[in-house]
Amino acid sequence: MTLAGCGSKTGSTETGSSINVFIWTEYVSDAAIEAFEEESGIKVNVSTYSSNEDLMAKLKSETEGTYDVILPSDYAVEYLISQDKLMELDKDKLTNLSNISSAYLDPSYDPGNVYSVPYEGGVACIAVNTSKVDMEITSYDDLFNPSLEGQIVVLDDYRAVIGMTERSMGLSMNESDADKLAEVEEKLLTLKDNIKLYDSDSPKSALISGDCSVGMIWSAEVALSMEENPDIEIVYPKEGAYVFMDNWAIPTGSTHYDEAMEFINFMLSAEAAQMNVSDFPYLCPNEAGLELMGEEYVANTAKNVPSEVIENGEFISNLDTDTMAIYDEMWTKLKE
Amino acid sequence: MDKKQIKPALVTIGPVTVIMVLLIALPLIYVAVMSFCSIDEYYNVTFDFTLENYMRLFNADYLKIYAQSLGIAFITTVLCILIGYPFSYIIARTKSRRKKVLYMLVIIPFWTNSLIRIYGWRTFLGNSGWLNGILTALGIVSEPVDFLYKSGTTIVGMVYCLIPFMILPLYTAIEKLDDSLLEASQDLGAKPVNTFFEVILPLTMSGIFSGSLMVFIPCLGYFFVSDILGGGNTDMIGNLIERQFQSGNNWPLGAALSIILIIVTLLLVKVYQKMGGDMDALGV
Repeated sequence: MTLAGCGSKTGSTETGSSINVFIWTEYVSDAAIEAFEEESGIKVNVSTYSSNEDLMAKLKSETEGTYDVILPSDYAVEYLISQDKLMELDKDKLTNLSNISSAYLDPSYDPGNVYSVPYEGGVACIAVNTSKVDMEITSYDDLFNPSLEGQIVVLDDYRAVIGMTERSMGLSMNESDADKLAEVEEKLLTLKDNIKLYDSDSPKSALISGDCSVGMIWSAEVALSMEENPDIEIVYPKEGAYVFMDNWAIPTGSTHYDEAMEFINFMLSAEAAQMNVSDFPYLCPNEAGLELMGEEYVANTAKNVPSEVIENGEFISNLDTDTMAIYDEMWTKLKE
Repeated sequence: MDKKQIKPALVTIGPVTVIMVLLIALPLIYVAVMSFCSIDEYYNVTFDFTLENYMRLFNADYLKIYAQSLGIAFITTVLCILIGYPFSYIIARTKSRRKKVLYMLVIIPFWTNSLIRIYGWRTFLGNSGWLNGILTALGIVSEPVDFLYKSGTTIVGMVYCLIPFMILPLYTAIEKLDDSLLEASQDLGAKPVNTFFEVILPLTMSGIFSGSLMVFIPCLGYFFVSDILGGGNTDMIGNLIERQFQSGNNWPLGAALSIILIIVTLLLVKVYQKMGGDMDALGV
């Protein structure tokens, strides 16, 4: 057989291995993935999900070792750690971790970043079309003003909308006290008449088309809508916003740990961060990457979310099943 | 069974049986079993028998949503009959080549994914959409009208999506009408109105029945129409089920809700059968 001669002429150590990466849709730049493949010689097979629940369900149902790298959000990291679904990350191999601003390290959902490192994130902030809205909006609480009847687009996300209500009352987004939640429900239901549309997929569309004049949506969506319609302004609520962060992690059972670490380390590099942020302008914790983006980007407060917003903000955490039932009931009442 | 007959039977009905068992029976049994399961503190499904999921279905908010769904499905069905009947009548009674063209006009949009067509309505009805553009240009309105994100918009979308299911059985029923019966009615002095109500309508009732069933049932489950055109303000049973499998993360409760929807469907089919409906006309 002549096949034995294939690829043996250089005697290189290239193994032609591949890794399976399971990530959010529309979130990681193809250019960055291709650059990694070129640099490392490792082939990357990408599959995508569109919610953390999707990811968690797949990790439950697929055999271990199906995926080598995943990109869960804060509360999903917390959940996966509790289920022993993540492998510890060998920090010695993550030489680019120093590019990440310390404000984003050692998060509440994974103290000491034992299992995860931050990628990009965002804030549920407020978008206002100033040509259509007279009142000044500075807080989540302002969204409950009756003068905004039938004008608001909110994320179709019960944690965001209920959490926003809780923040407006000075409570935590993870409140579990039944009496307090009864008060939250009362206030939440007063928002019903103000909400025109629930949309998580592309809430900016309703703002750009003029169907809605106020939004409670992700910062990156506001940034993109501002480019289409200069009347739109971004407001970071003064109560402190709902903040999320997505993180690289390696699921238990990965058979390509070293390659997966190489991939994550590459994604932490300044060049990869620049490619990712250029395509998907979410909050970027990668300081070295931001430097490459130039002054205009850094000065844009919708894209480069100010660090005090993150410091004043709050991550959601997992609710126990009884509390979840209360949240679910509230949400059903709001949407019925 | 004769030994000689086993092989042909295996070859002919074997594959169908395997497909039916694998893709229909097993998933249904899985859903039914799950509806009696519990979840642990980490939302994993555990096989502890419970009736709690079924108890939760009688929650007042859920009952309101069932009523709302049935109401929307009912209005959609009535509108489909009112629009679909004259339309089917015209196609079925057209003698020329235009008949094929009219028939294809119903079928062709049906080949496009309904989700995409529903997004089309969103663009069409939006504040800066075509309809408002035309109305403003004609001076009929000065400010754009808010068409979107109301329960009325949901019904428009439902009727649009489901009307082919009404037109096709109606068409079949009307086409079977024997001309000589209509002539006889006319000869005996019946006015056209009487002919319609006394002869045509009773003879095409089977088409109305099967069409209604095929519109009503999917309407209960088309949650994406109420999400996209209704703005998510008017939940239907389909939304409740979707939520428990996604954000609610309570699969057993979602399974119990699905079982209720399946029972409602079976009851409706049973009623249809009792009223003399033709099962073949449903295309199942």
